[in-house]
Amino acid sequence: MPMYYFHLRDNKTLSDVDGTEFVDASEARSHAIGVARELIFNRNGMLDRDWSRWRMSVNDEDENEVFSFRMVDFAADSSVK
Amino acid sequence: MNSAPNLSRWGNRLLAALPRETLAMLERDLTQVSLSQGVVCFDVGDPIDRVYFPSTGMISLLVATKNGDVVEAGAIGRGGAAGLQSALGERRSYTRATIQIPGIFTTISAVDFRRAASNNGPIRDLASRYTEVLWAETQQTAACNAIHDGSQRLCRWLLQSADCIGSDHLPLTQEYLADMLGLRRTTVTLLAQELQERGAIRYSRGKIMILDRKALEACACECYEATKDENLSLKTGVTLIKDSTLVARPGLTGATDADVLFSFARQ
Repeated sequence: MPMYYFHLRDNKTLSDVDGTEFVDASEARSHAIGVARELIFNRNGMLDRDWSRWRMSVNDEDENEVFSFRMVDFAADSSVK
Repeated sequence: MNSAPNLSRWGNRLLAALPRETLAMLERDLTQVSLSQGVVCFDVGDPIDRVYFPSTGMISLLVATKNGDVVEAGAIGRGGAAGLQSALGERRSYTRATIQIPGIFTTISAVDFRRAASNNGPIRDLASRYTEVLWAETQQTAACNAIHDGSQRLCRWLLQSADCIGSDHLPLTQEYLADMLGLRRTTVTLLAQELQERGAIRYSRGKIMILDRKALEACACECYEATKDENLSLKTGVTLIKDSTLVARPGLTGATDADVLFSFARQ
């Protein structure tokens, strides 16, 4: 199964150094959304920068981006304070 | 306060809190074992056949669901013991008690412990009071899991674990941490990266080192302080829960020295 890496990018990158195996990009996307929701739960942002600045960038083993989304797209449907 | 050497002998605050003659009686049946990560002390429904007093490691009380997910409901370090309630009678475990951080554990069989407790006020008192403390801590954990964000909970967990084992070097994988916090491993990795970026921790596969406690405390939720102070309430034996929150008792905050913890049993 291919490995996927789920980085958070602003002007800095918080790297998912470990990565996780998934069958395909569709499963990786579900995982990415789950992670985004866990990160956003009751939080305005990371490293003092709000979610509107951050993007989840999902990469393959060769560090090519498979897909990405804005974190703020998932902030609306969670209980952000 | 003359039994401080007991802490250095067994490395556990509950044992150190017992009166000298009580401890001397128990010591005949105490043994020390080295246990590795993942060893199950007792599973849900198992008879509690042994009491474990962590000296350098940590025990997690886990709740497992039918599909295999586990989450931590409580943690026991050198300020506690697993299976202590067996002093009061034959007991079965409500949770899975498992070695989370390997180390040295002082143990005694439940049968021997019950025999020692049968005519001994301080042991029975310790068992019933400590059960209340564990109960209060797990209530706090339940509230914390429902309310606080992942980063706050991760910080609390790292601080509590460091206190439990008395070291800022935590041998824990992201995977284990994720299980304990009920989060995906990727989430924990990203939160740990953030803390590393802030200079609070350094982590590599399977190891986390706390570099800046103050920074972690600033990030952690109030539950860290609440459960820390909770230990102190044993000293006075007063009501554990006040206005449904666990607040620090004036005059006792900051009194974290092992000698004052649980010293009621010596009074």
